Amino acid sequence: MAKPPFSNDIRTLRFLAGEMTQGDLGDRVGVTRQTIAAIEQGKYSPSLEVAFRIARVFGKPLETVFQWDDAGD
Amino acid sequence: MSFREKIHWVTLVTMILAFGWYFLVYPWRIVASPAGVMATAGMLVPVTIAIIVAMTVATAFLAIRSPREVHAREDERDRGIHMRGTHFGYYPLVVGIWINIFLIFWGIGQAEQLNLMIATLVVAEIVRIGTQLYLYRRGY
Repeated sequence: MAKPPFSNDIRTLRFLAGEMTQGDLGDRVGVTRQTIAAIEQGKYSPSLEVAFRIARVFGKPLETVFQWDDAGD
Repeated sequence: MSFREKIHWVTLVTMILAFGWYFLVYPWRIVASPAGVMATAGMLVPVTIAIIVAMTVATAFLAIRSPREVHAREDERDRGIHMRGTHFGYYPLVVGIWINIFLIFWGIGQAEQLNLMIATLVVAEIVRIGTQLYLYRRGY
């Protein structure tokens, strides 16, 4: 599978948010722990809704959580 | 590995074993005779029972081992993976049906038609489940 043309800082943001687990984040966003793991590893591109929900959990704007990779253009 | 992924593995292995046994043991020398239909019916009963029993036991075992995941709702990634698997499984299903239609015009026997339909269904299911497992492992 091709990697999505963007990266994310979810792992770092989870750590900064009191070492939140993937399962906790998944519960708050409404997806499974495996889906959070897949997003973190760049194996799955979330829908816009899930991306916004993740950003809202951390209280950050979307572009702080997900960054477009210019090399992927 | 998630509960859903484990169930997919159990389904795949069960289908390969059950229908592998069916196609290996089937009395192909009588396939063109009316007795071939009875043989198909007689062998499908144990195959069906074996699949139901294996799936029930495996699901119960896995549910006891990870009770939290049993009630986890399917999320958007699960749904996407399932749709892609069904999409890929559709192609062998259509090809098998068309082959069967042409062979019926060709004049093949009922048991041969039955076995071709069973084989089509098994291949389509293996492609469907295999695709889903691939996407769960490699990403989607």
